[in-house]
Amino acid sequence: MINIEEIEKLVPQKYPFLMIDRVTELKEGDYIKAYKCVTINEECFKGHFPDTPIFPGALIAEAMAQAACILLKKSMPNLQATLFYVTNIKIRFFKTVIPGDKLCVHIKTVKMTSIGGIFETEALVDSTMVSKGEMTFACK
Amino acid sequence: MPDIDAQNLEQELREIIAKIVEIDPKEIGLNVNFVEDLGMDSMMALEILSSMEKKYKIQVPEEKLSRLRNLKDAIDLTKEYLKA
Repeated sequence: MINIEEIEKLVPQKYPFLMIDRVTELKEGDYIKAYKCVTINEECFKGHFPDTPIFPGALIAEAMAQAACILLKKSMPNLQATLFYVTNIKIRFFKTVIPGDKLCVHIKTVKMTSIGGIFETEALVDSTMVSKGEMTFACK
Repeated sequence: MPDIDAQNLEQELREIIAKIVEIDPKEIGLNVNFVEDLGMDSMMALEILSSMEKKYKIQVPEEKLSRLRNLKDAIDLTKEYLKA
């Protein structure tokens, strides 16, 4: 398990853009399972949408990317990169995520290198798949 | 590797590359340079390498990525690691 103190050291994004609360499983070079507890206090709900709070798909993708970033850093401890840029993303969204949901992200490595990686991504709420896809990101 | 397989390999790799770069496969000649002619970046090259690995069930080390400059290189790399 990786707690929030270590996550804050591993992920370059900070509040209000830190999208991982805890890592529950990690196998270096292979996969990571992590989650974010979505609450009504999220800044995004002020506008997305004022009367119908729905956690944006872009932020679900961001949670996936940040989990992949943790996996990459833990798998390659000598990696000097400090910034991560998504270069390609293909994600399908199946269900909405709302306040009160525990958003679990499961990331599996397709290809991992010192210049970036390709990952298969899934997001689940209560074991129901809400989103699935693949993303590539570069690190510098 | 028989000629027919070599032709298949060339066409399959051409289609993999075309899909990632989002161009017509006909534009990808054997010696068309990925960076200078197709505007490819290093992450697209990584995606091509990954797709080659997935399709042919091979493992190509990261350091070989710099050898992937055109379709001919992709064919040579695939053949090299299919034999390994």
